[in-house]
Amino acid sequence: MVWLVQLVAIIVMAGLAPLFMGIAQTVKARLQGRRGPSIFQGYWVLAKNWKKETTAPEFSSWVFLVQPSISLAAILLVVAMIPWAGMVAPNWPHNLLTIFFLLALERFWVGLAGLDSAGTFGGLGASRVATLGAGIEPAMFAAFGVLWALTGGTQIQSIAEKVSLLLWGLAVVSYGLVLVAELGRLPIDNVDTHLELTMIHEATVLEYDGRLLAEAQWGMALKLTAMIGLGWVWLSPAVPSLWMNLLLRVLEVAATSVGIGWIESRFTKLRYFQLPTYLAMASGIGLLAFYLMASGGLN
Amino acid sequence: MMGTELNKRWILTNSQQRDNGSQLLALTAFQDERIVAHWLLPDGQCRENAIAVTAGAFPSLTPVLPQVSWDEREIHDLFGYIPNGHPDLRPLVRTPRWPDAFYPLRSKFEQPIPWLDVEPDNGDQRVTGEGVTIMKVGPTHAGVIESGHFVFSIMGENILHLDLHLFQNHRGVEGHLEGRRLAEVAPLVSRICGADTVSHQVNWASAVEKLAGHTIDQPLAWRRVALLESERILSHLNDLAQIPAGVGFHVAHQQALAMKEKWQRGMHSLFGHRLLFDTVGPGTAAFFDPDALGRLIHDVRRDWQSWRALVLGHHGFQDRMLGVGIVRQADAARLGAQGVVARASGLSFDARSVMPLYQEWKVKPAGEVSGDVAARFKVRLEEVETSWRLLQDVIFEVAKMPLPSFWQPPEDLAGDAVAYTESPHGLNAHVVSLKNGQVVRYHVRSGTFRNWPLLTKAVTGNAVGDFPLINKSFELCYSCSDR
Repeated sequence: MVWLVQLVAIIVMAGLAPLFMGIAQTVKARLQGRRGPSIFQGYWVLAKNWKKETTAPEFSSWVFLVQPSISLAAILLVVAMIPWAGMVAPNWPHNLLTIFFLLALERFWVGLAGLDSAGTFGGLGASRVATLGAGIEPAMFAAFGVLWALTGGTQIQSIAEKVSLLLWGLAVVSYGLVLVAELGRLPIDNVDTHLELTMIHEATVLEYDGRLLAEAQWGMALKLTAMIGLGWVWLSPAVPSLWMNLLLRVLEVAATSVGIGWIESRFTKLRYFQLPTYLAMASGIGLLAFYLMASGGLN
Repeated sequence: MMGTELNKRWILTNSQQRDNGSQLLALTAFQDERIVAHWLLPDGQCRENAIAVTAGAFPSLTPVLPQVSWDEREIHDLFGYIPNGHPDLRPLVRTPRWPDAFYPLRSKFEQPIPWLDVEPDNGDQRVTGEGVTIMKVGPTHAGVIESGHFVFSIMGENILHLDLHLFQNHRGVEGHLEGRRLAEVAPLVSRICGADTVSHQVNWASAVEKLAGHTIDQPLAWRRVALLESERILSHLNDLAQIPAGVGFHVAHQQALAMKEKWQRGMHSLFGHRLLFDTVGPGTAAFFDPDALGRLIHDVRRDWQSWRALVLGHHGFQDRMLGVGIVRQADAARLGAQGVVARASGLSFDARSVMPLYQEWKVKPAGEVSGDVAARFKVRLEEVETSWRLLQDVIFEVAKMPLPSFWQPPEDLAGDAVAYTESPHGLNAHVVSLKNGQVVRYHVRSGTFRNWPLLTKAVTGNAVGDFPLINKSFELCYSCSDR
């Protein structure tokens, strides 16, 4: 039964990913006083790009061509590993470090392909992705590590009462800060800009079109779903029914997408040279939580 | 011997003119081999100095008056007159596709000139050395932006140098105007650019009126003031909308665009054109209903108040603008900064304070001293406020006045005249030369033309990621410069 729910969950989440993206975009449009495109626009864009011809820059190599598939596969594996129903299926791989390295793998290939196309913007984007990665990874390690340790990788249920509110608060805040940075959302990066010189993640996919672009776009939507879903898997109180759990996850991710749209409407992008401060803060809070936990936060 | 004396006097007179606080209106070349510098004295009078081109050359003013560097390069490209002593005579307008000895404005070409089949790239100025990357942007951009080619020399995330290659869409407006009859000029002048069009139209109208010795009556003059100020609001609303977009502040961007759209629709119903094309001509100005304009102002101003509170109270937005893209006052003065750029860097010149049209209205120039993006933003905010008030005063008076009397210029008008206005992007001057009611020479010097070189000063030393923000705080018109 857990197996079945997990398989259904993977399909549902992979299928709904563009919708979650659409929710965030629609919220942003409304807060800007625009009607905005349909909430399902993500699907039309994917379908359109999937059908289009794919071209590659003149001096690019196989790295450029395989990157979207590798990144997409890495994120799909993360989605597959998340215990969406609150329980790990028997013999199902479930390992924090694997999730962590899959995310790092995606970042590595995105950076590599950005350099491979030999365009200035790709190179600039790759350099920025790598620089930010160096700051995101410790913060992510601390935040994920604490939440994983507190929950045993699934849900908070039994140990919830034993942990101080402060510890929880610190862990959740650092997770939220990491989430925004890893997804490249405001105030870190702007997914809705045409200004090449300001782009971080977008600059690395500027040269893509056709099916490869569709893969990259779906990968971005999946990453949003996975990163938010992971947090909720850890934070949601347990519900007896597995299916109810899955339904709750869908609602939670949708609600968080609304929140992301709201946050993106409140903030401007930070100066690039201020990003290390932001990431240091995320890491600091995460490490503090780690220290609290290690030194008896669990009583 | 005589020639050297004249050359020295040319340089001396012009640099003295600058030193006594005059504004250079234009440096104009003519087909009959002379160069004329028009100056606007602090009291509003115009003065001209001229020098003959001898053996295809004239002494360059650039070493003592760096602001004319582009003017002289343009003259070199379009007329082939050589400014002797110019430190950087690379092509500005010229493309390698033009055949040798083809100078578009030097003589009239009946046949289209066959272009050479070569790459259109002009040599660029770049920094060389270990770790320096050359980043070329444009002329085709990712958004709906005009065509400009930018060559950045960057090191890591820092801009070391920026070389501008504009004039990608040179239309040859000045050449097109030559030989036109009076009636054919206004529509073309109207379309020199979409941001400062009223200013261009008023320049043409007042040049003709000056040559004919005609003084326009007050009702007409004040309608022109209303049009000029309406254009300023339209242009500033647009420029203010673009600045938040540079830092991902979409809410402020979209709300300002909505405000601008409302104003623009108002312009269409009041004056008959969304961009205010064809609203002013010699002896005329568009008729409009003062009460309707008053209602429009009231309506848009309500949105304006809440938008103003939003942007002024947003810490993240203010933080992004502070200390970024600084134009030092010395550079602004040296390179002849105009309009908002000058007034944000401590130079408090606004041509409205000396323009005859604005005699009755005391316009106090806006002033900031920090020269950064925040200063240019604030100057625009202040100028929009000033324009609202000015407009309301004007329509109050216009409503009480009789209808203006219209006038037709004589068919055989002749002579040389210079006219200027304070456009939303700075001092805008036209030099007009007529003979038998036909244009012999028409030279346009817009405010943005002088501000472009200052953009390169403002971005040097800043982060690459801040360039769009700095660029938007200048919001320079390509069309006015490329012509």
